[in-house]
This record gives sequence, structure tokens and C-alpha cells, in this order.
Amino acid sequence: MSSTLSADTTAEAREAADEFRSVHAAIRTEVGRMMVGQDATVDGVLAALFAAGHVLLEGVPGLGKTLLVSSLGKAIDLSFSRIQFTPDMMPADIRGTNVLTENEAGGTRIEFQSGPLVANLVLADEINRATPRTQAALLESMQEKQISVGKRTIQLEDPFCVMATQNPVEQEGTYPLPEAQLDRFLFKLVVGYPAENDYRTILRRTTSNEQVDLKPVSDANTVIRMRQVVRAVPVPEHVETDAIRLVMATQPGNEYTASIVNEVVALGASPRGVQALILAGKVRALLEGRFAVATEDLKAVAHDVLRHRVLVNFQGMSEGISSDDVIAEVLK
Amino acid sequence: MSGQESETLEEDIKTVVWNASNQIQSTDQRTAIAANIPVAFTLLLVTPMFGLVLQVLRYYGGFQATAIFPLYAWVGLTVAVPIGWLFYKSATLKLIIDRQRALLAADKQIGSAERITTADEFMRRPATDGFMKAAVDDASDWARQGREAKLERTAASRSGSRIPWIAVPASVALIGLVFFVGQYTRPTVLVDGGSPDKQSLVIDTGSVTEASPETQIEDPAEDEIEDERKEAPKNPRKQRAVNRQGDANAAIPDNAEESDGKLNEGETRESQQSSNPSSARGAPSASGQPSKSDDKQKPRKKKKKKSKPEREREKKERKEDEKPSGASAGQGSSKGSDNNAAPSDWASTSQASTPEDENVEDEDDVDDEEEEQESRGGVQPNMRDRRTPVNRDLQIGFGNARPNPDANGRGGPSGQKKSRGVASLVLGVPIPDRVNGQPNKGRIRITQQRITPEIEESDRVSAQDRTTLNGPVGPIHHPELEPWLQNLVRRYFLDQREKAPLSSPEKDSETIISDDSLQTSNVAESDSPQS
Repeated sequence: MSSTLSADTTAEAREAADEFRSVHAAIRTEVGRMMVGQDATVDGVLAALFAAGHVLLEGVPGLGKTLLVSSLGKAIDLSFSRIQFTPDMMPADIRGTNVLTENEAGGTRIEFQSGPLVANLVLADEINRATPRTQAALLESMQEKQISVGKRTIQLEDPFCVMATQNPVEQEGTYPLPEAQLDRFLFKLVVGYPAENDYRTILRRTTSNEQVDLKPVSDANTVIRMRQVVRAVPVPEHVETDAIRLVMATQPGNEYTASIVNEVVALGASPRGVQALILAGKVRALLEGRFAVATEDLKAVAHDVLRHRVLVNFQGMSEGISSDDVIAEVLK
Repeated sequence: MSGQESETLEEDIKTVVWNASNQIQSTDQRTAIAANIPVAFTLLLVTPMFGLVLQVLRYYGGFQATAIFPLYAWVGLTVAVPIGWLFYKSATLKLIIDRQRALLAADKQIGSAERITTADEFMRRPATDGFMKAAVDDASDWARQGREAKLERTAASRSGSRIPWIAVPASVALIGLVFFVGQYTRPTVLVDGGSPDKQSLVIDTGSVTEASPETQIEDPAEDEIEDERKEAPKNPRKQRAVNRQGDANAAIPDNAEESDGKLNEGETRESQQSSNPSSARGAPSASGQPSKSDDKQKPRKKKKKKSKPEREREKKERKEDEKPSGASAGQGSSKGSDNNAAPSDWASTSQASTPEDENVEDEDDVDDEEEEQESRGGVQPNMRDRRTPVNRDLQIGFGNARPNPDANGRGGPSGQKKSRGVASLVLGVPIPDRVNGQPNKGRIRITQQRITPEIEESDRVSAQDRTTLNGPVGPIHHPELEPWLQNLVRRYFLDQREKAPLSSPEKDSETIISDDSLQTSNVAESDSPQS
């Protein structure tokens, strides 16, 4: 399978779009064998993967956040590593460090021992338990897809995707993610409770001898190619305008800002938010069978894209207004 | 997409744009009208208000509005103004419907997810890639559907402001008021057409009279009376004082009569004060004496004595008005109490609480101010003026720890503190520094309960022999003992051990001794730091 995209003609474009949908459906089906009742979350994670973004999964314990990411790693033939973040974890623990080793001649040399961050799919479990120093070690890798250790800079292998989980309930001994890091996540997906029927399926699969073995249905090259397909989707001018104004409307003191934003929002979405909106909109347009992004795509992904980028101030928190409420008001 | 298909798509898009533009235009017009409906309702009040103004003008100007505007004209005008406003706003509405807006509206109506709009934009781009061509190709079916579909009229968005329905009954009421007021005429001035010195003014203000043709005829003498009435000062008391002054003391020059508080050359302060009736109450002046001619011309009407509850109510209101007496003290009224701060016992001579004050105020209720002034002849000041002022002493004692039973540090008779300055910051009530007792003890409650004793059976415990201790008990530290004392005790017990062998366990007293010696021996055997 070629890793380069050629879509100069209508037929090639249609073929690429069809391939995207089929790959997406295959991975979704395979992950769905393990994950039950979290279809929206699976779609979000896959959208972030194809849009070359990172995902922050937030939910109470026991909803299968970690299982979802590990299942995705199995369904796609990608190198997968898991980092369990703890307060005593240091940056070198995730990036890697130089160690003194003995060579064959009997001498010693300094050798770089890579950490778990050097992988295609990184599960940063309970990311908010690590100190800001360790969290900051992820910044470079998430944005520039590289890590710097000493004088050495290591390019991370493509595709690189960080999927972090955090628990919104446990606040003791946690370190909230800084805004710079939150902004680097394409999506913040809120994982909810499954439905009643899904509980039965979960029970049947987890409390019996039934074993679910996931098989890889895609690989790194396919993912890279699908990312190119996503970027090839054109964006009409009026949709671009809508995306820009939507993001500007979340910034206090702007001409497009609603009154509620001026009152309860401390920090609005950044230009990265527009990029994320458009990329996520492209993925959705392809999945909806269209060849261009529409405004409804932006509205559909706006909550997941802007949820962690809009910070509500103290007044808003005291009134019980969440960032989702603000986004819903902006979308009106 | 072939060239013919492309042309067909363009034609379809044009048709869609045309249809959508018409639909948007009608919707916008309806929206604009809906937005102006609250204003139109408010405009219902304009004509009746204008009519009311006309009636007021007629009242003073003397022309008949109802004769000019009959009822149907008023109603017609009232309705025509808001309708005309709506027509004006609708006619002057500038609708600019661009192509993209029309296409987006069509896309929204047929549910094509902006495919037609996107295709229209991509078709006008110079360079297109495969995805753009696919998007255009994808929109052809939707454009055909949009051309054939009859676009539904979207509901006009309602304006946020509420329709003031109250304007309808209000305008009806105003029209009624216009015609109701139109029935009234201005109070007629009846002239007893004799000599000017016998003229009298009969002003009918309370009753409604039909304007008779006789009263409409204007008498030349009525004009004169009107002129006099216009020239007459608004304060009748002042006018009377001027008249009295003119009658009683003709020697006073005219300029003193006309002076209004300003001292002219050669004029004394007393004369100037006497010319001012409001300030002439306490000043002796001959002009204050009423003349007989005045009494004849204007027979004094004895003020009707008010009933007791009414008087009490007025007294209360007056008291409330006089409460901030400190503020009114400097306003120059001789009637008000003098609030100069003078040290005296305010509690014993309180102004507000003495029965004498009540009597004085009762008198006030009976006699009006003018009578009061005249009875005093401007010589005797009011009794209240000589009353002892309120004590403003803020201290609670006389100093030297001598308490003043009447003072409470509030600086006035009322409960509200009236002190000023630094003294107001000082607490008047001494607060003890500490509270006797033990902290955190709480209250101990002892409850007694009567309980009948009950016999409780318990298992017998059979006595057992205590065996000797086997093995070391471990080091026993005595850090409180000095080293030399520890050695002494150790030597003593070692000596005891050498002298007497271990006694049998049957003897309790000896057992105790032997236990001690055993422990001591263990101490000696172990490697304790004390040893």
C-alpha cells in the first residue's frame, strides 16, 4: 500500500475517500469487539488519530479509557507503550536518558536508552498525577514530534499519537494540566457511562471465559496515508470564516463574543483551536460521505475541540457554568 | 464532469439562487415589520397625546378642539400613524441578499449540508483538485433537487422586545380623556361690574360649569382684573404684608417696600427685615401690626379647629420632620429650636419629651404662623426659642470616675448616637478585658439515675499458681537514676542474691523479692548501656 496520496481526479478522490471510510470502519469494528458502549469515544479517538492529533480522555475510573487505547494499539499494528504517571516520575523516565554501558572492547561508553515516549501510540495514563516538570516533558514531543535529551534530538516515528487519560474526580495529589499542554490535545473526550444493554455485554465478556483477541487490521503506513487523505479535503471559504469566528467568539473582548463569554470566560481558544476545528471537520466530512467541510461539521466537533481550550473564570465556576455551556451558547 | 453537466449545474444553481433570494426577501420584510410592531403600538399613543396637548392649549387659549377634530378623525388618526410607520419602514427597507446567503438558505432547506454553496464556490476557483471536483460533482443532484423543490417560507424571526399591548387601551383611554377634558372650560372670572374698589374675585375651581355665552363675552373690566391677577405676587402673605405696610406706615419709602432682602442706601437692617415677611416673625416692627382697614377688607377667617386625631397625626409628622434638627438649625428660621451645643443636662430638660412642648405644638396646630407673629407683635420670641438646648455631651461620666446617671454617651436625647469626630469612635460602654473562669471547661451536668441493683452472676475464676519467669525479661532501663546509683542498686541486689538462695514460690512475699532479684540479675546479664 502506497504511502503517498494522488487525488487529482474525481475518481482518485472518491477512491481515497472510500478507502478512508473502509479503514476507519475496520478499526472501529475491531476496537468495538473489546470496547462496548463507548462508540462516540472510539470515533473521537480515531478522528484524532487520523487528524494527526492527540487525545485527552477524561472520565471516572472503570469506564475503559485505558482499555480503549490499548485496544487501539492492538487493532492497528503500531508500537504501543504505556506510561503510568505518578508524582515521583521524572522527565527522564518517559523520554529516556544516557546511560553508561560497557562495550565489547572492555571500555565504557555513554548510550541513549529511549524511554516509553518513543513509540507510535503512547498511553499516558492518569497524566495529571505527574508533576508539571514531567508533564512538560510531553510538550515538545506532542507538538514537534521529537524529544531532546542532552545534546541529542530524536525524531519520533510517524504516526505519533499521545492518548492521555485523567480522572476528573480525584483531585488529591494531582496536578492540573497547564494550558500549554491542554492546547496541544486535539480533542478532550468526556467518557460517559455505558447504557443498560451495554452493561450486559460488558458483563458477558469480562466475567466469563470468553476471550477477545484483537488482531491488527491496519498499520502505520495506512494511518499515515489516511492522514494525507484528511488533509486533502478542501474547505470552502464560508466554512473557514465560520471556524475563525467560532474560535474568536470564545475569546473575551472580541467583536464576535457573546455576553456570557465576556462574563465567565478567562481564556478563549487559540489559533490551534481553529486548526483543530478544521482538521476534525475534515475527518467528519469524509465520514459523512462529503468531499468538503461544511459548517455542520464544525458544530459537531466544536465541543470536543474547544472544551479544554475555553477556561471558565471563578465567576463562571461559582455559577456552575462549564466550558461546554459556553460553547453551546457560542454555537447558537 | 463534462462541460454540459457543468452548464446544467450552473443553471440549476442560478435558479436556486433566484428562488432562495425571493424567499429571503419576503422573510426579511416580514421580520422587519415584526420588529417594528412594538414601535407601532407605542405610536398609537401619539395622536391621543397630541389631542391632549391641544385640549390644554384650548383650556388656556380658548378654542374648541372638538369642533376642529371630530371623534372619527381622532380615531382614524390614532390608527393611521402606526400603520403609516410600518409602511414607511417596509418601503425603506434595504435588502441586500448575496448569492452565498441565498445558496446557504437553500442548502439548509433541502438538507444538502452546504453542498450547493460549496460547489458554487469551487466552480469559481481557478484551480481545482480531485476533491473539489468531486465536491462539485456531488452537488449536481442536490442542485437539481433544490431547483425543483418549492422552498418553504421560513417563519419570520420575532423581535426580542415584547409588544406593548397596553398601548391599545391606553390610547383609547387617552382619546376618552381628550373628549372628557374637552367638556371643561377654564374657570370663569365673574366680574361684579361696578367700581374697581368693589370688585371681588369669585374663582370657581371645584365645580364644573358649562361655558355659557355670557361668560364668553369678555368685559373690559375683566381684562383689568386679569392684569391685576397676573401682576399679583404668588405669595399672598407677602402681598398682605406689603399692603399692611403700605397702609400702616406710609412714611416708609417705596424702595424699602420693593426691596427683596438687599440693603439700600440709608436703609436699616430692621426695615429690610420687616419688608421680608418670612423673616419678620421675630423682629419688632410696626409694619407687623395689622390695621383696621385690613380687617375690614379681609375679614379674618378663624381657622377651623382640627379634630384631635388629626392634630396628633400632624404633630407626629412635624416631629419626624424636625428630627434632624441639627441640620435645620442653621437655616435662619427663628421658629426652629436652637441647637447650639451648650453643656447642660439634656435628659432633664429634653425638648421633645416635655409636656410643655406638646402644649406648644398644640397651640401651633390651632394658630397659624401669621397669627402667632401678630400676637407677639414681633417682640416676644417663641417660647421654644428660649428652651435649653440639647446637651451634646458625649461622655458618660463627669470625669474622675464619677458617673453621670443621665448621660449615656450618645450625645442627644434619642437612642441614635449623634456624636461627631474622634469621640464617636470611643466606646461608651466599658468592656471587661477578661472573663473569669476556666477556658474549654464547659458546663458539667451531673445526672442522677435511680437504678435498682441487680445480681449479676459471673464465672468463678479458679486460682492458679504463678510460675517463675523463664528466660530474660530484657534490659530494664532506669534513665532517671544516676550511674553511680544504678551501680549501687545493682551491687545491692547481687549481694542479696549471693546471700539468700531463691525462695520457693509458695511464699508470696519471698516470691516478690525473688522476682526483683531475678530481674536485676537479668539486667546484670544483659548488655544494657547502663551497666
